[in-house]
Amino acid sequence: GTCFRSQEEKAMEAIKDALRALRKRHLLEEGAHGPAISALSKPMISQGSEWKEKTEKLEIELQQCYKAQSRLSALLVIEVAESRTSKASLQDKELLINDLEKDLSQTREECTRLQEELEEKTKTLDLLITENKEVRSQLEEMTNRAQKAESENKMLIDRWMLQKMQDAERLNEANALYEEMLAKLKANGLENLARQQVDGIVRRNEDGTDHFVESTIPSTCGHRIHAHEGGCGSILFQYNSRTLFTGGQAGPVKMWDTNSGSLIKSLNGSLGNILDLAITHDNKSLIAASSSNNLFVWDVNSGRVRHTLTGHTDKVCAVDVSKFSSRHVVSAAYDRTIKLWDLQKGYCTNTVLFTSNCNAICLSIDGLTVFSGHMDGNLRLWDIQTGKLLSEVAGHSSAITSVSLSRNGNMILTSGRDNVHNVFDTRTLEICGTLRASGNRLASNWSRSCISPDDEYVAAGSADGTVHVWSISKGSIVSTLKEQTSPILCCSWSGIGKPLASADKNGYVCTWT
Amino acid sequence: MAANEEAMKYVWEGAIPLQIHLHKSEVASHPAPPPALVLAPRIGYLPLLVPLIKPYFKDSLPPGEDSIWFDYKGVPLKWYIPTGVLFDLLCAESERPWNLTIHFRGYPSNVLIPCEGEDSAKWNFVNSLKEAAYIINGNCKNVMNMSQSDQEDLWTSVMNGDLDAYTRLLPKLKMGNIEDEFSRKESLSSPVSRQGGGTEIDVAGQVKTARIPVRLYVRSVSQNFENLEDVPEIDTWDEISYMNRPVEFLKEKGKCFTLRDAMESLLPEYSGDRAQTSGEEEADGSQETRGEIKLVRIQGIELKLEIPFSWVVNNLMNPEFYLHISVLVIGPQR
Repeated sequence: GTCFRSQEEKAMEAIKDALRALRKRHLLEEGAHGPAISALSKPMISQGSEWKEKTEKLEIELQQCYKAQSRLSALLVIEVAESRTSKASLQDKELLINDLEKDLSQTREECTRLQEELEEKTKTLDLLITENKEVRSQLEEMTNRAQKAESENKMLIDRWMLQKMQDAERLNEANALYEEMLAKLKANGLENLARQQVDGIVRRNEDGTDHFVESTIPSTCGHRIHAHEGGCGSILFQYNSRTLFTGGQAGPVKMWDTNSGSLIKSLNGSLGNILDLAITHDNKSLIAASSSNNLFVWDVNSGRVRHTLTGHTDKVCAVDVSKFSSRHVVSAAYDRTIKLWDLQKGYCTNTVLFTSNCNAICLSIDGLTVFSGHMDGNLRLWDIQTGKLLSEVAGHSSAITSVSLSRNGNMILTSGRDNVHNVFDTRTLEICGTLRASGNRLASNWSRSCISPDDEYVAAGSADGTVHVWSISKGSIVSTLKEQTSPILCCSWSGIGKPLASADKNGYVCTWT
Repeated sequence: MAANEEAMKYVWEGAIPLQIHLHKSEVASHPAPPPALVLAPRIGYLPLLVPLIKPYFKDSLPPGEDSIWFDYKGVPLKWYIPTGVLFDLLCAESERPWNLTIHFRGYPSNVLIPCEGEDSAKWNFVNSLKEAAYIINGNCKNVMNMSQSDQEDLWTSVMNGDLDAYTRLLPKLKMGNIEDEFSRKESLSSPVSRQGGGTEIDVAGQVKTARIPVRLYVRSVSQNFENLEDVPEIDTWDEISYMNRPVEFLKEKGKCFTLRDAMESLLPEYSGDRAQTSGEEEADGSQETRGEIKLVRIQGIELKLEIPFSWVVNNLMNPEFYLHISVLVIGPQR
């Protein structure tokens, strides 16, 4: 009823009142304060969100910084460790530097010292160089002087030789004059000389007729005689006999009987090495050429020395005596002279000079021409009276060692170190025969070969001890004789045709028949 | 605008201006920071304000961890009580702006339960919601059946003061409604005309016992006073007694259960003829030693006691379906 309605009215009033109160409250509270506070707080809130953003950013940055820091810490640890090792090594290096500096200063000192030494040495060297130059120039001077002296010397020798020749000429002239004077006294001699000068034909000796015996070709050894100690350089048969003279290195000349092989006698009185023997046609005098610069002349019968021919100034290596006169002897010595001697007078009558030494010598049948074989391989012919060179022929390419005349005097045999044996015609001086053998080698400058008495054969010894025998007409070997073992020095053929004798360097003499 | 809509709008938009001072013992900067001015939603809670306040003071704080709490006149403030309720309760003479002191250290754990910021407030809200559901429906199935995300959204709408979002989510909550024929009327029309709505569950005409969740806060002062400004400052929580007691009433036709009826049921010792409405002070002169209700505040306003209780409940309840009533009585200290 009305109570309810009035209650309801009251209720509605209350509700309205409540609403009014709410409105009022709104106005008083949020309505009044809200705008101001929101205005004030906006920046703060927005700041707050800004701050939040900033904080977040900063947090992220911080995290990154922490990460970076930890990385850097790790790096730092490494760096510190490295730094420590670097410091340690630096210290070591400093010590090392100190040592090196010491070494360096030492080395520098050493270096300056060495430099000083070097300067000294260089100075010394310069000095030595200049001295050397001086010495060299001195040497040049000396050499020039020596050369000059040599040429002067040569010139002087030539002059001296010329002088000697002139002296010899004068001597010869003087001798010739003396000879002429003596000759004029002798009536017999002139006839013979004139005859010989006219035709130059060799006439046989009136004293005796020579037996013309055919020589046999020797083949067998008869005797082997140890004639001399130290070598037998010269052997010679007596004319037309089997008696053999031997001359050796030392000791007497010996006389042998080749039939029996026994010694007949010794001829004493000689000195030196017997290089050549010659016997007079009457077998009475034996002449020996000696290395003692002399020739010795024995009387065969008495066995005593009759003459000692002096004058040569070097060893006498060849001798021959004139068959015609028996008093004229020619000798050649290594003083480059040939001397002519007169046995009756006992002295030198002529001297011939030449440049090449003569090894072998031989007189012509008429005793007027001298045949000489020289070291230069030339065969020379000299006039015995004038001593002038008649002719000269090149016989060998090496030294001539032997010159032998044939019995008839028409041929002359030369042997040379070129191992060639030439047979010359004495009138024309043309070679009419050349003999060689493959095993034939001449042992020395005085290896003597010989012609058989029938002028058919040539015998020559060889360095191997063989004796070769050639036929002149055939020009070939007809016999080879082997018995001796040492070089053959001399061969001689007996005038009665046999035996042939050969002498060797050991002093053995073999006879061949 | 419908009356209940308008009222709800004011309730949700209501905010108290606060002036927050940093306790001087915690001022670590020079000069001391000025107080922070914030608008605190009435239906919100103090912990939710911390993000707004902290920026003001963070530079001034001493080093260490924060344990934040507020006090008014030295009285630590219980954080699980809605801010508006605290204001209505503790400030007899409304102090605008309300000066509070903020602490960042020295949490009074003998007086206050621990607070972990927003999470604690949320938990508190959901818990209260369950309590309310139990009282209204007899069980809290409706809350438990709500999905986690819906609960989150509900809480978020409360935090943000978003009434529209809250209204949209309410159907999901399925909380029983209080019949209130007064809520939708603009004019004094027939109380029976009801507008159709999805929120009314009951069949028309049925007699029903309504159970209303109520939190009652009673501050008693010993001395009588004539003006509110004469009320002494609050000293301790001992002056305040708290009752979590539902109000039951029969929906009777023709009868209207008023606020007065509700208060009598809640505080029988203070009711009677001597009970006074706000604004009208009967200078009786006689001071009974028997308690006297001097002030009843709901949502910051004093209501005529004739106001239908159902209207009060439907329009002035907090989002967790509780009605908070602050009462000032003269009476012996309990």
